[in-house]
Amino acid sequence: MSPIAPIVHPIEPTLHPTEPLLQVAGLAVSYGRIRAVDGIDLAVEPGRIVSLVGSNGAGKTTTLMALSGLLPLASGRIRFAGEDITALAPELRVARGIAHVPERRRVFAGMSVRENLVLGAYARGDAVDIASDLDRMVALFPRLGERMAQLAGTLSGGEQQMLAIARGLMSRPSLLIMDEPTMGLAPQMIDLILDTVLEIRKQGMTVLLVEQNAVEAMRLSDHVYIMRLGRIVHEDSGANIDPERVKSFYLGADS
Amino acid sequence: MDYLGQLLANGLVLGAIYALAAVAFTLVYGVVRLVNFAFGELFMLGAFLTASLMLPEVRLLGTIVPMPGFSLPVAAMGAITLTAALGVLVDRIAYRPLRNAPRLAPLITSIAVSVVLQSLAQTIWGAEELRFPEFYLATLPPVVLFDSIYLSVMDLVVMATALAAMLGLSAFIARSSLGRAMRASAEDQMAATLVGIPVNRVVAAAFAIGSGFAALAGLLYAQTYGFAHSSMGFLPGLKALTAAVLGGIGSIPGAALGGLILGLVEALGSGYLPNGTAWKDAISFVLLVGLLYLRPQGLLGKPELNSAGRGSLLGGASEFGAAWLRTSFAKVDGALARAAAGGPRAALALLALAILVGALVPSDYWLRILTMVVIYGMLASGLNVIVGFAGLLDLGFVAFWAVGSYLTSILFVLVLKDQFGVAPADIWWLLYLNLPLAGLLAAGFAVLLGTPTLRLRGDYLAIMTLGFGEIVRVVAINWMDLTNGPMGIRGIPAPNLFGIALGSPRAQFFFALALAVLVVFAIARLVRSYVGRAWVAIREDEEAAEAMGVPTARYKLYAYAASGFVGGFVGVFYAHSQQYISPLNFSLFENILLLMLVVLGGLGTFVGPFVGALIWIVFLQLALDLPFVQAYPETRFALLGVVLIVLMVFRPQGLAASARVALTMPGARPGARRVKEVA
Repeated sequence: MSPIAPIVHPIEPTLHPTEPLLQVAGLAVSYGRIRAVDGIDLAVEPGRIVSLVGSNGAGKTTTLMALSGLLPLASGRIRFAGEDITALAPELRVARGIAHVPERRRVFAGMSVRENLVLGAYARGDAVDIASDLDRMVALFPRLGERMAQLAGTLSGGEQQMLAIARGLMSRPSLLIMDEPTMGLAPQMIDLILDTVLEIRKQGMTVLLVEQNAVEAMRLSDHVYIMRLGRIVHEDSGANIDPERVKSFYLGADS
Repeated sequence: MDYLGQLLANGLVLGAIYALAAVAFTLVYGVVRLVNFAFGELFMLGAFLTASLMLPEVRLLGTIVPMPGFSLPVAAMGAITLTAALGVLVDRIAYRPLRNAPRLAPLITSIAVSVVLQSLAQTIWGAEELRFPEFYLATLPPVVLFDSIYLSVMDLVVMATALAAMLGLSAFIARSSLGRAMRASAEDQMAATLVGIPVNRVVAAAFAIGSGFAALAGLLYAQTYGFAHSSMGFLPGLKALTAAVLGGIGSIPGAALGGLILGLVEALGSGYLPNGTAWKDAISFVLLVGLLYLRPQGLLGKPELNSAGRGSLLGGASEFGAAWLRTSFAKVDGALARAAAGGPRAALALLALAILVGALVPSDYWLRILTMVVIYGMLASGLNVIVGFAGLLDLGFVAFWAVGSYLTSILFVLVLKDQFGVAPADIWWLLYLNLPLAGLLAAGFAVLLGTPTLRLRGDYLAIMTLGFGEIVRVVAINWMDLTNGPMGIRGIPAPNLFGIALGSPRAQFFFALALAVLVVFAIARLVRSYVGRAWVAIREDEEAAEAMGVPTARYKLYAYAASGFVGGFVGVFYAHSQQYISPLNFSLFENILLLMLVVLGGLGTFVGPFVGALIWIVFLQLALDLPFVQAYPETRFALLGVVLIVLMVFRPQGLAASARVALTMPGARPGARRVKEVA
């Protein structure tokens, strides 16, 4: 991948050097009367991989959807790259540099791989460099290059995941949000996807990851947040976290 | 051969127009899964606006207004732009708040929008036809093909315009960035949002293009037939929808194909069938019913569209609107629910109140109005069986009502009186025989129609029932020997019991009340049985019900038959009470009205239809006293539409949602929601 220009583009200069790229304070989300996320704080430093782990129903996906503007907040603030984006429409958040690779990939099944990728650049508004970005994606995932004209729905699960990541990168984000990128994939494919995550981080990308596989997530991440019933119950750097402790959170024992 | 050629040419022109309007339906359905019935009215507005812009002056709201007098192309561009803007506005106000509402809500809203637009057009342009000004191309001599087929220059223009518009749209959807965004939003709105597509704006663009196409179709239609009229959009709108479904809704080539087929079939049918021009409207619907039976997804459609009706059609509340508005709706709801929780005692109290009112109201005028309230309440109760309890939108319910009314009228007047000279008073007992007989006949029709069609779901079922209702109406108009056609049947005898005439308004009111007790009691028993529980299960989630072993198609059929029975049953009394019926009594508008009464009062409640009928009919009478309404009587119907839209947007679950019959067994929770059995 080295001969190709890096995928990551410089972060907005407005960012103060010591401020996290993404900062979340008191974020709460409700579904009707049920409070799915109950006042959480998060900080994602530039160039890091940060993961959010927890059992089903902990509120991880809800948190990510609130970050990209798909769900309204009950309360809390979100700052991104030095700007308050709490009230920003989803498409404007994409334009500011947040790409969200959703759970279950959700590629546009009836459209070709190329069209999916081109749509990824929709929010950019500049049609100029799309061709070179397509080349970069092919360099990152050669398999996609072979299938450019194929309908996305006919790809295998792993290939669809590659496409979903590449589609997210086409918007030239500074933060890549990934929701369970390894769900339902074969072990080999899981390794490939996780290696890709490390690779794009090496090029300077910041990643916020939700992963069911807590062990892999801890191995990969610079920082880990553990969620339970809509709250963050523990956080530490990936290397320091005690696997036994994590297990107790998953199994529901009180900490 | 010459004749065939000319018919084919005519069919192509008509088909091109249908295809253009079908594109509107298919485009919007493709993006937001909404059958926007209002396109028929945007079609009409396209025609009116074009004609108005071409004239030197127009009479609007009774005043002469000077107009620019543009030529056709300029006026058409203006009309298309205005209609597109209106389409976007309608989406913004009436549909966007309902994107996550129960699936029935936007469909009902679009019907209401239709009613509003049509009444407004009639208010603005008047009830008369507006002659479409002649364009200079139309004065050129016709083109003659093969020495025998005549095509006017404008016919060629119509076809060329339609072709160009459709090719242009296809290219736009396939290649442009906005077109790609439209396809992406159609496939997966969440994923589209995540790649940065402003989905609401894309949907607005789809509405703008669709409305523009509807306007274009409308103005070409008006140009071809030479006039614009406020009701001109109804049938072409239905046919365009038919064409879209025929070709496979959601597919643009499908819409083109469906439009062409429909145009050709209609032209050939009216040319070759005996008395074909009278029957051509029925041909399209027969074609639709047949096709949906054989291939529900349409010719070029994808099969999964039929399963779009996932989940409850009624559940879910609106998150939309100010807090005070929602709390006040909730208060009304709570009061109605408490009233409904009174059980048989409350029901008897209500009945006693109705009897007291019937005995004490001095004016015959108000007694007649109250009788109408009870009749409409009963009819709405019948519709409520299928819509409120089984959760299926039925737009052809009036057909059952018509069957009942016509059965008894034909027997009494056309057969016994006219053929055999029997005085109605001598066979007074026949009325009481006709009541169940008409119910059974209507239920028979329901089974006949329902057996093939109830496999369909959601929107397709609604379209199918709409087609059925129209077929019955067309038959009533055209089968002169059986129904007397548009003249209707006069001299239907008033009800009579053992030789005592029950013709007085007070007697009729009590007669209606007695029938209402029967109807509501029967429906309540049925809904309380395991059949009713199966209905509610289907209403809440058809797939889950099926997975639990409920034979859904069979129970849907039962619901359809029960609703048909009530329609036929009440229809008999309606005819004897009105003493005159004509096909005009059984229009789609009546069906919409009944639907509104049910929604207004509360879908799936026993008392709701009567509450709705009381509110609406009394309102209608009181509104007649307002000077503005006296000047513009059509505005009452616009108001009906507005009420329905407001209700849907702010409270899609209906006024009395908490009084809705739940799945709990009586006695499972002592004192919990009991059901009122008599209204």
